Amino acid sequence: MSRALAIAVNTFRETIRDRILGVIVVFALLMIVGSLWLASISLGQEGRMMKDFGLVAVSLFGLIVAVFVAANLVHKEVEKRTVYVIFSKPVGRAQFIFAKFMGLAATLACVLAGMGLFLFFADWAVSKTPTAMILAATALIYLELLVVVAVTIVLSTMTSAILASVLGITVFVAGQLSRQALSLTSLGHSPVLKGLSWFVYVLIPNLNAVDVKPSVVGELAPDWSQVAAWSGYLVAYAVLALLLASWLFSRKEF
Amino acid sequence: MDTAATNHALEVRGLRKTVPVGFMRKKVEILKGVDLAVRHGDVFGLLGPNGAGKTTTVKIVVGLMRPTAGDVRLGVDGAGETGYLPENPYFYEYLSGREFLNLCGRLFALERQHRLERVGELLRDVGLEAAAETHLRKYSKGMLQRIGIAQALINDPKLVLLDEPMTGLDPVGRVEVKRIIERLRDRGKTVLFNSHILSDVGELCSHIAIMTAGKVVWDGSVDEALGASSGGLEEFFMDVVSA
Amino acid sequence: MRRVVLALVALACVAVVVGFQVTRPVKAAGSPRVFVPSPHFYEKMSPSYRTSIADLYWLGIVQYYGEHIEGDGRLDSLPAMLDLVTALSPRFIEPYLFSTFALADAGRPQTAYDLLERGYRANPRNWRLPYQLGFLAYTYGKGKEKALTAARWFEIASGLPGCPAFMPRLVAGMLRRGGEREKAIIMWGPIYTEGDKFARQKTVESLETLLPKGKAARMKAVVPLYQTMPKDAFQELLAELFKDYVK
Repeated sequence: MSRALAIAVNTFRETIRDRILGVIVVFALLMIVGSLWLASISLGQEGRMMKDFGLVAVSLFGLIVAVFVAANLVHKEVEKRTVYVIFSKPVGRAQFIFAKFMGLAATLACVLAGMGLFLFFADWAVSKTPTAMILAATALIYLELLVVVAVTIVLSTMTSAILASVLGITVFVAGQLSRQALSLTSLGHSPVLKGLSWFVYVLIPNLNAVDVKPSVVGELAPDWSQVAAWSGYLVAYAVLALLLASWLFSRKEF
Repeated sequence: MDTAATNHALEVRGLRKTVPVGFMRKKVEILKGVDLAVRHGDVFGLLGPNGAGKTTTVKIVVGLMRPTAGDVRLGVDGAGETGYLPENPYFYEYLSGREFLNLCGRLFALERQHRLERVGELLRDVGLEAAAETHLRKYSKGMLQRIGIAQALINDPKLVLLDEPMTGLDPVGRVEVKRIIERLRDRGKTVLFNSHILSDVGELCSHIAIMTAGKVVWDGSVDEALGASSGGLEEFFMDVVSA
Repeated sequence: MRRVVLALVALACVAVVVGFQVTRPVKAAGSPRVFVPSPHFYEKMSPSYRTSIADLYWLGIVQYYGEHIEGDGRLDSLPAMLDLVTALSPRFIEPYLFSTFALADAGRPQTAYDLLERGYRANPRNWRLPYQLGFLAYTYGKGKEKALTAARWFEIASGLPGCPAFMPRLVAGMLRRGGEREKAIIMWGPIYTEGDKFARQKTVESLETLLPKGKAARMKAVVPLYQTMPKDAFQELLAELFKDYVK
């Protein structure tokens, strides 16, 4: 456990110091503030615009951080051969993968918490009332992005960092369209096609089963039991992805 | 890897390694049956031209690669008792020397107090106490080699494997590294190092093995090698390799 | 020398870039007919971001309305845009309220009415929606029924939280216009009971126009008030309504 913690802490230190991260976060904050400019032409809907576009910024910039850092996480260690230092010591491949993931999860938590809190307080200043749902929505965005991180790590064990980033973003988009994949399973008559549709539907992570974001701007609140079930699904999916990454990584030689 | 009883610190038998190469994944055999035996307390030199398979052999011993066939037996208790310095090492450049050694100590699950003492000791041993708080990105090549040796010794291993420890070092750096190896020998450690700097091998090693094209073509003591050739170790090496 | 040349090249490029941009013609007003996808498209393709997409279209509506209401006066695509925004974000109140006037300006009061009704069904606790419905019904409706329809909507609004104090008076006024004299009289009872000095004054003024002048007929006409008001309040109101009859 302490070995995994050492790697996780090291990963956190490495990723949190990444200058690209700082640039992305600054852009995200600018976009949140910039949403006020859009809000000025919204006929008095500044609060709503700030919440909606602010959460889009948190989601999209969080995605960029998640995907580009995750794609390089394992890749960089292999390319720079720091894996020689790690695996010449009693560290398992699965331990390494999970620890790297935990380190990036900690970094992502800091980034999203920062953006979420900034949005919360900025919106409070504009709307004059606090909206705690912003924080709940940010927390769920974080869980979604953890799944994307896990999948990107899987991809990075099989291909280059750039391709893994692009595919990671593709998986995120596909995850938003999970319901479409479900409706495809009921189309067509061929059992082979149906089976294939089900396979694709289950394979793609479901990233829009429950959406908390509309309730931030006054739409109906979600069913929290569904949110809990979805959160459990996301955690299980991430663990599966990491196990797959561990297995793929264990077959690698350096 | 097998840690079954062996009288040697390291024993390698019939080691083979095949790797897929190129787009068509054509199988290329880079180790063709390597046999090695390293006695406890030896400083063992593994020599050979580039591409002979020295680094691959060491990586298989350390566990970074898996053999296609053959056997590796350690007379020490597995990974907990070996230390490894990779060729042209690259470490976490954003860490200081002390932070890096601390990390390595934690990878061996060393107790905090023991780990901190060990780190201090190693920094003194390799002469990097003054640069302990400097980030590794600012270290010279010689300093990186020394911190690399330090991380290989963090767990006070019985068997130390050094891959080309003196490559790329200036004369001062080479002397510093040689002194460290001598101190390891004096402390009863078993050291195996790859090199193609024969003068260093002649000075430090008690036994050598010469590899070419994936096989050990000669092994024995340095004295035997020197006795077999009037032109010194270089001439002996050339004779063996070109035979 | 080389540096001077590079600096001159840089300056020339800056001049071209800035010059090109500032000489672009100001954008002419767009076509009044714009492509508006069906809400189903967005509901299916991006269910996670539907409120953000609704917001973007809302911003578009504001620009579109501003551009065309002063320009060609044509708001052909406005109904579809409002429909899209409210379908994606049913509890976004402002588009429904905006539609009251904007769609009426576009010559589509019935569309505004239908949209507001949909908004009311999605937001039954917001008083502004039935209020706007009442307003639309009275302004654009026909015949006596329009007043009664308006009265019904205003009555719904008057029972919702946050509703302003004048709403019950509106109800009573609409009932009178719709010929529901007795209902109108009853409506003034709670206004008098719960209202302030101004509301009471308005109550007495309005009842003066509703009630018959003859004393006996007047006594008979105030019976519904007696039946529905608290005793004290009724006594006070009665005193005011009959103060000219006790000489």
